[in-house]
Amino acid sequence: MTTVDVDDFDPHALTEQDFLDQVHSFQFWFDSVEGYLTDRPYGRPDATVEEPIDDARRDRLITSLCNYCVGETAALDGAAGLVQLAPDRNSKIFMATQVVDEARHLEVFLHRLRELGVGDPEREIERRAQPALVDFKGALLDLVAEGDWQAAVFAQNVILETMEYTVFRLHASTADAVTKDVLAGVIADERRHAGFGENDLGRALAIDPSGRVRLREIRTRLDAMVLGVFEAALADIGAPVEGHRQLASEYLDTVERLGLT
Amino acid sequence: MTTTDAAVSAPEIASDETRRRFELEEMGFKEVPKKWRKFYRYWQGPTDVLAPNEVICPVCKVVIRATRELRPGDKVYCMPCMSRMVVVVGEDGRLEADVVF
Repeated sequence: MTTVDVDDFDPHALTEQDFLDQVHSFQFWFDSVEGYLTDRPYGRPDATVEEPIDDARRDRLITSLCNYCVGETAALDGAAGLVQLAPDRNSKIFMATQVVDEARHLEVFLHRLRELGVGDPEREIERRAQPALVDFKGALLDLVAEGDWQAAVFAQNVILETMEYTVFRLHASTADAVTKDVLAGVIADERRHAGFGENDLGRALAIDPSGRVRLREIRTRLDAMVLGVFEAALADIGAPVEGHRQLASEYLDTVERLGLT
Repeated sequence: MTTTDAAVSAPEIASDETRRRFELEEMGFKEVPKKWRKFYRYWQGPTDVLAPNEVICPVCKVVIRATRELRPGDKVYCMPCMSRMVVVVGEDGRLEADVVF
């Protein structure tokens, strides 16, 4: 048996299977979120000071957070259903960690809405939710109900999460201090979710490329819904034109890597 | 650490003597378990100059770091987004990473 020298804990020396076993594990999730969520009740350190927000900006922020809540609820319901559909144990365990992440996102956004003076967040969400995002949520949950793992992972972890990942980063770059802190923890979680979706589908499509035809049809049907919603969110947060280009380009890069353009 | 090929099929980055070695320190990236945090850092945008042992993850835009100078063909992992990639030379001559599914 030959031996090789590797550096302590060098992740690049892991075998592919060891790497996948690690990053999909509950222990990996736990040791990761410990790094950026400890001592941050509702996603923010106690030391962060609330800065003055004028009425117009506050109103736009509430609209954005209400729509983020719709997206997070969709992902929470979707991920919970996907736990049962997962084709292997690693995916099942990972999807369970995503359920927890999505529940936390919903909770911190609801908490932020209350901090901004929204007395009844549920009613406000209903009032301000973009119909296209509500429709997308219905379409995603239909795919889950049909038991279609690939299509639901594509809709949830690629279309929804990739766009959320870009929008939350852009929002964090211009947000007030508290919202920025709340978004930072969510962004860290979204990295895992979007990455899981792309890699899970990428591996499956490498084995059976015929699945691309169906996923392209789903893309045609669903991505415009979400893109329009998040473009509106970028307008609400005052993102520059470059931000809109970044949203489209990062999403297109993802679907291109998957061969779905 | 010495490990056997039962656990590690092959080092993903060759350890030949012609490569510069780098001592890694944590740079504030806390999104992976502690023992792996020094292998990643946040990308600071287009003005961020990458070191010879660094490459940007095309999926999540985190900077991936290695203990050795990277060269085309090396395999690296992005733990924050669970991606596996191979180092390539980009159109501008700089090192980039392509996702391997």
